[in-house]
Amino acid sequence: MTVRDRDWVPPLELDPADEAVLIEETDAALPAIPPPPEPDAPRRAGLGRWFALGLAAVLAVALGFDTADLLTRAFATSWTLGGLAVAGLALAGVSLIGMVGREFLNLRRLRRIETLRAEADRLQRTRGHGEADRYAGELAALYSRRAEIAPAMERLRELVTDAHDDGEVIRLIDREVMTEIDRRAYQAVVRAARTTALVTALSPAAIVDVAVVFWRNLKLVREVAALYGARPGYAGSLRLLRRMLANLAVAGATESVHHVAVDALGGTLAAAISTRVGQGIVNGLLTARVGLAAMHLCRPIAFSPESRPSLGHIRAELLHLPKDVL
Amino acid sequence: LSLNALFEQATDAAGRLLETDVRLGVTGLRRSGKTVFTTAVVENLLRGGRLPFLDAISSGRFQAARLRPQPDHDVPRFALESHLAALTGPESHWPEPTRGISQLRLSIRCRPSSALWRTVQPLATVNLDIVDYPGEWLLDLPLLGQSFAEWSAFTIGLAEREPRAALAAGWRGWLSDTDPAAPAEEDRAREGAALYTAYLNRCREADCLLSILQPGRFIEPGDLKDAPLLTFCPLPGEARGRGTLWALMEERYEAYKTNVVRRFFTDHFARLDRQIVLVDVLGALGAGKAALTDMKRALEMSLEPFRHGAGGWLDWLLGRKIDRVLFAATKADHVAASQHGALKQLLDGLIGEARNAIRFDGAEVETMALASVKCTETVLAEHEGRTLKCVRGVPLGRDKPTVLYPGDIPEDMGALAAADARAYRFLSFRPPDGVGGDPRGLPHIRLDQALQFLVGDRLS
Repeated sequence: MTVRDRDWVPPLELDPADEAVLIEETDAALPAIPPPPEPDAPRRAGLGRWFALGLAAVLAVALGFDTADLLTRAFATSWTLGGLAVAGLALAGVSLIGMVGREFLNLRRLRRIETLRAEADRLQRTRGHGEADRYAGELAALYSRRAEIAPAMERLRELVTDAHDDGEVIRLIDREVMTEIDRRAYQAVVRAARTTALVTALSPAAIVDVAVVFWRNLKLVREVAALYGARPGYAGSLRLLRRMLANLAVAGATESVHHVAVDALGGTLAAAISTRVGQGIVNGLLTARVGLAAMHLCRPIAFSPESRPSLGHIRAELLHLPKDVL
Repeated sequence: LSLNALFEQATDAAGRLLETDVRLGVTGLRRSGKTVFTTAVVENLLRGGRLPFLDAISSGRFQAARLRPQPDHDVPRFALESHLAALTGPESHWPEPTRGISQLRLSIRCRPSSALWRTVQPLATVNLDIVDYPGEWLLDLPLLGQSFAEWSAFTIGLAEREPRAALAAGWRGWLSDTDPAAPAEEDRAREGAALYTAYLNRCREADCLLSILQPGRFIEPGDLKDAPLLTFCPLPGEARGRGTLWALMEERYEAYKTNVVRRFFTDHFARLDRQIVLVDVLGALGAGKAALTDMKRALEMSLEPFRHGAGGWLDWLLGRKIDRVLFAATKADHVAASQHGALKQLLDGLIGEARNAIRFDGAEVETMALASVKCTETVLAEHEGRTLKCVRGVPLGRDKPTVLYPGDIPEDMGALAAADARAYRFLSFRPPDGVGGDPRGLPHIRLDQALQFLVGDRLS
């Protein structure tokens, strides 16, 4: 009631002929992206961190000494060798800077997906009105160069009315635009799971399995990220990487287990085939899980419980594998 | 009869077996917008272009919808075409108040979402049956659970309080002159009924928008005009002996219950699958606190027959079939879109107890603010240095658009207590010109979400 007392405006009717009273609403004008929220003050560094810092400093110094030593020795031997060593060092240095620079660029785009996501979350929770246009504008900017999403964007523009609140606009974006991307990303995941499964089922050596799984996982994450127009955040990348490493370990281990299993089962052809197929399916499923995790991490709007992609379809797809192998 | 024809017949029969019927009960007090809701739902489903929140449509499984002959042949057909003409014609206006019962069947074809069903049946058919009727009749339903003495006590008690007391003066005068134990006289009964009807009509016309008007046929008789069934009125006191006025009135009340109310209920409400309760919250808000309280009471009363699950006195009729109930605050386009949240909360407060009871019975309940036909748009206006969210539309009876700031909707009824009577101002807007020309369907607010909640699961 206090709010009403202070700010209360009696109901009134205005004359629209007097154009001055109406404020034209700025239509999703793709405004500048707001700066990311300031991270919280770093936590008090623990003893472990001091230890790591000290160790890193010592290593850096040692590396510097060693490099300097190496260069001196190379130059002492011959000018050509010294030149080669310097060139190699420069190359390594420049590419390192390049890699770090690229990481930073990635990181900046990542931040963006994280703010987009936090913004979508907030809009859905508060259910205000009139703020979602800006969000839609940001997404439109993100996907402005994507021909395959243009029809969905067009449809969205047609469906959203001034009566929808922010949460509803976000849900419409989710349903009309995101599902389109989800579909493509899911297809990419299914494809990756299939190839991984097939190749690991057929490959003869553990090292080939590991290489294939690593390459395919990496490619899949890149594909999914490109589809959503954003790479996973820093924490998300770490999580993905950990999951991928686990997959590599499994790929290596199943190959070794395969031999044991075939021996145990009597070394028949059937046993060999069945364990290989099983191994392929496991690798395929694990790749699919990486892909789905990447989808979760790259999506500008978090999956709702209904739209969450599931392994079900992929599992069914992989069960066709025996037919493909034989 | 060739084998081929026989096969075709069998397929046809199997197809009919696989059709599902959904009986949607559109309930609402008078002037809550039942007719317009039904018209807008049917028109939008027929066109299918403006329902993004209906899963069957957004996922592309929706094939088409068509009007089909209705199942009950003795009920008039819902006059969809003339209602549409009223809404979309050159002189657009709202349909006339409903005077009688009517029915419509809309068949919706869509592809099943599960792959297994698709192999059995590539196209599923859902028949949506909707009944339209005067909202006045809805308040007859609580009579089923009340005896004449109970109903009389309740009604007379109600008429003794303001704002009804003034309106009921004539009838209450008659009551004080009348001895319920006197021998029954037809003239006396007719006099009382006429005075009582006049009182109900005065309540209906009153500015303070009173909702509890029983029995409904007194003010909207339908095909019962001047029937002896309608010549009774509440009488004070306990049951009297045979041959008295009281006994006569009680007999007619009971006959009214059996012949009118129970038939109405069994024919149209007993077999409902889904229910939407339309509530004109804004209308009551504009009329003041008394109107809101009265409406709250009327809603609770009218939901009672639907509400009791196992062990209720209507269990034998009802079963437990209504498994989803949607409460909708209609005419949401009368306020700016930013106010819809508050409107929904106000409705939540208004129907809180009824909703709990329905939930307790095991049905799903949802509330939302909707507009069957969206007549306004939300605009920002500058006024004395402040930015106000207003609505812009053409009010009924005018031909130029206006911009209206109707006042801030309170989120709960408690905040209403201190508000003065003229804190809100709502105008009745008319459908915008050229609204019928859009091939996508009529503009609306949240009609698609309402449909998704009510029938979405049957369409998958």
